[in-house]
Amino acid sequence: MISDPHDPFAHLCSDHGGEHPSVLNLPYVPLGLKQEWLELETRRHFLGRGSKALAWAGLATLLGRSAPHLLADTGALPGLQPHFAPKAKRAIYLFMAGAPSQFETWDYKPKLSDLFDKDLPESVRGGQVLTGMTASQARLPIAPSFYKFAQQGKAGHWVSELFPYTGKIADELCVIKSLYTEAINHEPAILSMTTGNMFPGKPSLGSWLAYGLGAINEELPTFVVMTSKMPVRTNVQALSNRLWSSGFLSPEYAAVALRSGGDPVLYLQDPKGVSRDVRRAVIDGVNDLNRQLFERVGDPEINTRIAQYEMAFRMQTSVPEVTDFSDEPASTWDLYGPKAKEPGTYAYNCLMARRLAERGVRFTQIFLRTWDNHSNLPTNIRAMAEDSDRPTQGLITDLKRRGMLDDTLVIWGGEFGRTVYSQGTLKPDNYGRDHHPRCFSMWMCGAGTKPGVSHGETDDFSYNIVKDPVHIRDFHATILHQFGIDHNKLTFKSQGLDQRLTGVLPAKVIHDLLA
Amino acid sequence: MICWPDLSLPALLSAVLLALAPSFAQAEPATYADRVAPLLDRNCTVCHGAEKHKAGLRLDSYAAILQGAESGAVVKPGDLKGSEIYRRITLPTHDEDFMPSDGKPPLGSAEVVLLEKWIAAGAPETAAFEAPPLPPVVVVPPAAPDYRSRLAQANELARTLGVQLVPRSQVSTDGLIVRTASAPAQCTDAVLAKLAPVADLIVEAELARTQTTDAGLHAVAAWVNLQRLDLTRTAVTSAGMIALAPLSKLEAINLTSTKVDDQGLAVLQANPALKKIWVFASAATPVP
Ligand code: HEC
Repeated sequence: MISDPHDPFAHLCSDHGGEHPSVLNLPYVPLGLKQEWLELETRRHFLGRGSKALAWAGLATLLGRSAPHLLADTGALPGLQPHFAPKAKRAIYLFMAGAPSQFETWDYKPKLSDLFDKDLPESVRGGQVLTGMTASQARLPIAPSFYKFAQQGKAGHWVSELFPYTGKIADELCVIKSLYTEAINHEPAILSMTTGNMFPGKPSLGSWLAYGLGAINEELPTFVVMTSKMPVRTNVQALSNRLWSSGFLSPEYAAVALRSGGDPVLYLQDPKGVSRDVRRAVIDGVNDLNRQLFERVGDPEINTRIAQYEMAFRMQTSVPEVTDFSDEPASTWDLYGPKAKEPGTYAYNCLMARRLAERGVRFTQIFLRTWDNHSNLPTNIRAMAEDSDRPTQGLITDLKRRGMLDDTLVIWGGEFGRTVYSQGTLKPDNYGRDHHPRCFSMWMCGAGTKPGVSHGETDDFSYNIVKDPVHIRDFHATILHQFGIDHNKLTFKSQGLDQRLTGVLPAKVIHDLLA
Repeated sequence: MICWPDLSLPALLSAVLLALAPSFAQAEPATYADRVAPLLDRNCTVCHGAEKHKAGLRLDSYAAILQGAESGAVVKPGDLKGSEIYRRITLPTHDEDFMPSDGKPPLGSAEVVLLEKWIAAGAPETAAFEAPPLPPVVVVPPAAPDYRSRLAQANELARTLGVQLVPRSQVSTDGLIVRTASAPAQCTDAVLAKLAPVADLIVEAELARTQTTDAGLHAVAAWVNLQRLDLTRTAVTSAGMIALAPLSKLEAINLTSTKVDDQGLAVLQANPALKKIWVFASAATPVP
């Protein structure tokens, strides 16, 4: 069948003979909806057809599968390659959920030590509405950091004594002290960080990257998430798969979450008595049925199904290999610390992240929660730092010595900052801090970010930003830029909008952070 | 530090800057046509030109510039402070009104000075005005020949060989990446040899964990535009490094977990193009 290129409802699929009716043949479907379906279908042409072709090829010969992912038969598929030569091929995002206090970590405020238990000047707060947790407090007494700081390395970053290991690699870090967000509670704030929007239903950063760039290694998921065992049992921050969902993008761009105990991925092993060949035959059969269904109704989600069966089958061999640490040299354990041998710990996850990055996983996000120190902050934050400091430094050192820091972007940070004033009773060695969206600190390193840079400034109370504010969307735009992506051009049409990670408000790449 | 040799780039740069410094300060005659128009063209006319005229403003002709935007004049000859265009380009970069907008790279300081001098001199259409020369534009040579006409061939080759040939970017002279992560075991010396038809397009080769041996490096040596080569966990040895000597664009090589020793390292160090050599867990002694 030769389709008329000017007929908007001519079927675009080259492999569809037109013998079955499709959505487009249904008379009662409104025109606009058909148009949108068509656009969706065209946009997904690549993975739709690509992975279907892949599935078919996979059935014939698994070993011979070559998956020419980014090159279509007809030539390049623009939009699936970076817009310009990227600095980053992959990223590891160390997500400190619960929001670490900037006062004890990266925003050194020496003048506060003279202001212990003084009231926060009204002029600084500027009438800001507080959360329900501290709005009823009679006073807002200033709590200086219990922990000391010292300048480290050539760059002279002020590093907290909580991070003796990270201090050793301070010169690698590009520290941003002027991030801000609109959200004041965890769920919307974490969603803003992970998806660029407070409301659920948007794709996360990793999904956008998977959608925009495709896989490096077809045998492993493009986007992996790991949650870490909690070093502290108070103020546990809930995490849900909303944070790594693909939103309105095809579900195959959602993260595969590796479990922290037992099998890293459930049901990967062949059931007892079922051989690999039988398993393959079953998947072939299911795929064949799905393919027939696709031909009939044309729903691109069916291709997603096929792709996922294929991915699961491939992970049966690739995941056991990557999760088997027996080939690690002894120096690994010195670097990441002994906890790296215990599955599910943050240290273990850091090592796993390196192994995944080595094998071409584009985006790995490790969540470490319980930074939400409303009370007993000095004790709790110490436990958090002790759990994470050494593996973090280990990861960066390891990436560097293996030549991977050149093209692996590492990001550390939470979802907002914390208040200068104490929540609850204030003592020199015990206090709490409430949520504070107006400023917080993060750092990045590797993949063409500028090492040793300290960007942005807050006032003496780390309450307001006084220099170079960085909104989350600017931060996202900058990350995409390192991947060779113009954030304005990575879009997906949904709900009548050309949706993008950075949303509709203007966002900009922060060139000062880049080498 | 494992990475060797650290050619001190800052030192080099500052040498260049010093060399430029005297001429930077000197003024030379400039005109709208030869200096101002090209600058606006490079930075502004994508949004303020024939296709898009944001704010009703076009900056692609002298008349249009003086005509200004919907809201009024943007250049007031001789009046720097009153010229909206000048205000926009000198705001803090995070200001909503900053131009160019949308996170496009800001104008360089020499470019801002040029516009400043032009406006201060009365924004002449043809008459010359004094302005410091712009620093020489660094023209980045293409990494490889244009890939567009050869993608079908590359694709076919990749399919038959079981590797991926991926454009590094949509810029068609950015070259191709040889990618093997999906099935490294399939990538043998013979496969490398068969990539000969696209040899000149290859700028990066991700050969970690492949079956590459010293013999295969002779094929790699023909990839004349190769910039980055990852041989992590392959069977290559020092003997193979000699073959790589002709690669005059090779900037980074990763020999992590290989048998390459100090002898091989010495061979590589003789290549002036190579800026980074990683030898972690190899037989070579890392150079500090
Ligand atoms: C990415 C698109 C884009 C680029 C590139 C861009 N602009 Fe703009 N410009 C806009 C938009 C959108 C507006 C209207 C919104 C506003 O006023 O900020 C605007 C407004 C302006 C105005 C204000 C006009 C008025 O209403 O008075 C000036 C002046 C201006 N731009 C100058 C420049 C200059 C000079 C450059 C190059 C250095 C530039 N722009 C590059 C998008 C752009």
